Amino acid sequence: MKIKLYGGLTTAMILMSSVLVTACSDNSGKQAAAPAASQQQPAAAKTPEKADPFGKFAQPVTVTQVLGFRPPEDPKTPKGITPEQNGYLKQLKDMLNIDVKYMWTVPTEQYEQKFSLAVASGDLPDLMVVDQKMFEKLYEQGMLADITDAYKTYASPTLKKYVEGDGGFALGMFTRDGKIYGLPSYEDPYMSTQIMWIRTDWLKNLGLEPPKTIDELEKVAEAFVKNDPDKNGKADTYGLALQKKLIFWGFDARGLFNSMGAYPTAWLKGSDGKLMAGEIQPETKNVLAKLQSWYQKGILDKEWALKDDQKAVEDIVAGKVGISFGEWWYPNWPLNLNKDKDPNAEWKPFPLPSFDGKPGKSLVNKIRLNKVVVVNKKAKHPEAVIKMASFYNEMERSKYKDINKAENGWVYNWYEPRIYNPNNFENLFQAVNEAVANKKDKVESEKDETVIQGADEVFKAAKDYLAGDKKAWGLYFSRAADDGGWGLTRKIRDQKLVTFNEYYGPATPTQVEKGASLDKLMDETFTKIIMGSAPIDEFDKYVSSWKKLGGDDITKEINDWYAKNAK
Amino acid sequence: MKNKALRRFRLELPLHLLLIPGVLVTLVYAYGPMFGIVMAFQKFSPALGFLHSKWVGLKNFKYVFNLPDFSQVLWNTFYISLLKVALGIVVPLVLALLLNEAAKNWFKRLVQTSIFLPFFLSWTVLGGVIFELFSLKGPINSLISGLGAQPIMFLGSNTWFPAIIVGSDVWKGMGYNMIIFLAAIVGINMNLYEAAEVDGAGKWKQLIHVTLPGIAPIVILLSTLSIGGILNAGFDQILILYNPTVYESADVIDTFVYRLGIFDQQYAPAAAIGLFKSAVSLGLVSLSYYLAYKFSNYRIF
Repeated sequence: MKIKLYGGLTTAMILMSSVLVTACSDNSGKQAAAPAASQQQPAAAKTPEKADPFGKFAQPVTVTQVLGFRPPEDPKTPKGITPEQNGYLKQLKDMLNIDVKYMWTVPTEQYEQKFSLAVASGDLPDLMVVDQKMFEKLYEQGMLADITDAYKTYASPTLKKYVEGDGGFALGMFTRDGKIYGLPSYEDPYMSTQIMWIRTDWLKNLGLEPPKTIDELEKVAEAFVKNDPDKNGKADTYGLALQKKLIFWGFDARGLFNSMGAYPTAWLKGSDGKLMAGEIQPETKNVLAKLQSWYQKGILDKEWALKDDQKAVEDIVAGKVGISFGEWWYPNWPLNLNKDKDPNAEWKPFPLPSFDGKPGKSLVNKIRLNKVVVVNKKAKHPEAVIKMASFYNEMERSKYKDINKAENGWVYNWYEPRIYNPNNFENLFQAVNEAVANKKDKVESEKDETVIQGADEVFKAAKDYLAGDKKAWGLYFSRAADDGGWGLTRKIRDQKLVTFNEYYGPATPTQVEKGASLDKLMDETFTKIIMGSAPIDEFDKYVSSWKKLGGDDITKEINDWYAKNAK
Repeated sequence: MKNKALRRFRLELPLHLLLIPGVLVTLVYAYGPMFGIVMAFQKFSPALGFLHSKWVGLKNFKYVFNLPDFSQVLWNTFYISLLKVALGIVVPLVLALLLNEAAKNWFKRLVQTSIFLPFFLSWTVLGGVIFELFSLKGPINSLISGLGAQPIMFLGSNTWFPAIIVGSDVWKGMGYNMIIFLAAIVGINMNLYEAAEVDGAGKWKQLIHVTLPGIAPIVILLSTLSIGGILNAGFDQILILYNPTVYESADVIDTFVYRLGIFDQQYAPAAAIGLFKSAVSLGLVSLSYYLAYKFSNYRIF
């Protein structure tokens, strides 16, 4: 009986045993933390000094940290090296007289759980790198230090440029009552702009122009189905790539929704100034009706709803489909694979088509946040943390490139805090294009003490491609070509042809509770409508169910947040 | 008298000592974690652990049972796994009986191995195979359109999808039970067959009156055991094969909890569902055990 009972309880058991494991690791964590804390330097270490971001502390300063780490990425890294032996830390000690003490280090997978436990036990390090949700939690519990002065006095110009690279919007998210509690590291939110990738060799084969409106797009897509665009004599092509997750990270329907003014899963400002859910608006219904008719016409793969992203990519690579909505990076994967298979294949990006005389506007989130660097309220030297952040950017500079090497034991992704330049992508584009236009041998990868990450690689790809090496197309066309992925995206950015998702807070309580059910309802209804197994009017039923099953409560919560946080 | 008992205890003492590690392991790994069940009654937060999380009584259960699709999901689970359990016993049993009658040993071995083979493949691999087999351009639909009928979108149809789930699961797992049945058949006393032959029983009568009663305990054992898993309809298999069009017929408790979990790590409702499943399993196992005892006077333990 016992054995069978065990089998029947498997699910519960797994959950429970994980609790037991966490309970155990909790203890060991505390034991490991105790000696680290006792080794902390006395407060007397603080000595007056000039406000130099790279000024050396007269007395050694200890900053405690915790770390979740992966093996070093670079194979040249010396074997058996530990995070404590990281070259960055030695340099940090030599240059700034800062000792980093790890209270604990664990493999990345265990980090989140271990960190949650540390939060619960209040046993937190001086320096922490957290997500938005954790930031809110730590802030509410009063565990964060006000770093306004430390930041203003000690941050290097480069660090300030990165943190405030978007005009201060991101920093504002982590500023409360004029006091800064966290330094954000983020990317250009326009990187998620939707554009339309089309096989231009197919357009040429059929004598068609790139579509500018939804109606033209429909005609092109139909021609791709019926008129044998690859001229192989077989009816084996279809129009628009799609897969079973309509709202996803690629090869999905977001671009088409956005083209027709629909923004499912986003929060938009209505005419009454309140936020409203995009998935229940009439525009969304229009898109579903359009997709339903496209499915009947064969523009979509008959089995799109059964296929995952991997299968959709297979069709693109195999040359079975000619249009896909997506982001700037497609040339680097998977379009390059299609070109490898078929040297005649040409892909180009186009702006979202217009609908009803209105230009297509992609959804863009207000922020593309990676992480927030925060300081423990109990930390004795918040300025040391600011210096450590500036230090990382300084070490990237070319004057340190002879010592900052994997073979010297420098492991960049073990070092925190790393705050990156949100405008790196744009700087890279400009620097590479400038170097190409002026026929230079070398790209200027450092300007005003700011390093452009990846500039050398992309410049090499650009040179190789322009010299006729087709293998370099992916990297070049996604990042550097004027008519390529980023080249088009930045034009859309400059024209401001986008719609913003007005909500950028954490998931609301009702979202957490009802989100899974509402997502299921949406996926099921939308898929069935497009496949034709439910009539388009099913959408109206969906809207009223959505409201009843928690949607109205979520709308209220979102608007409460908006009233408090709207700027 | 007392002396004797003491002597016996002394004699058996080493054996009792030998038991200790096993008992300890069971206590620590099977009974200890059961305290985690309290999670199902808490507003659980991993940071606070189950010692400090807030007690909320039956709230998690109410939440789960009031989820709009719960009844449908529960029905799907029962329906799919009941079919799986029933066919998962009957099909291997028939196969074992057939194979037992095979005259040539090499043929028996060959069939046995090839039937057992899919048991070792993971659903990730088989999922791809099944997808290709049943796709609109796959071999099965080629056959159907060759016969002049309309191709069927098997994996997108609420009629066909459960059948494919059950069928492929039975196909994958049948080798395992078949081997157990074959082993049980081999274990039947040969004298019984000889006696039956003397009494004039042919192959068929021997099957009915000797083989089947001979392996009945094993059949009952396997059925009883598998009934305990009735609320496990095969998580990985369904997750790999399903899609929004067949949520209606194929969304089961585990896939639902999975989506609940990835949305925002809702550990407590997941634990509540786990406990609910265990309670149902315990009830069903006890019931089938009782029935087995009552009707065939068979006891497992």
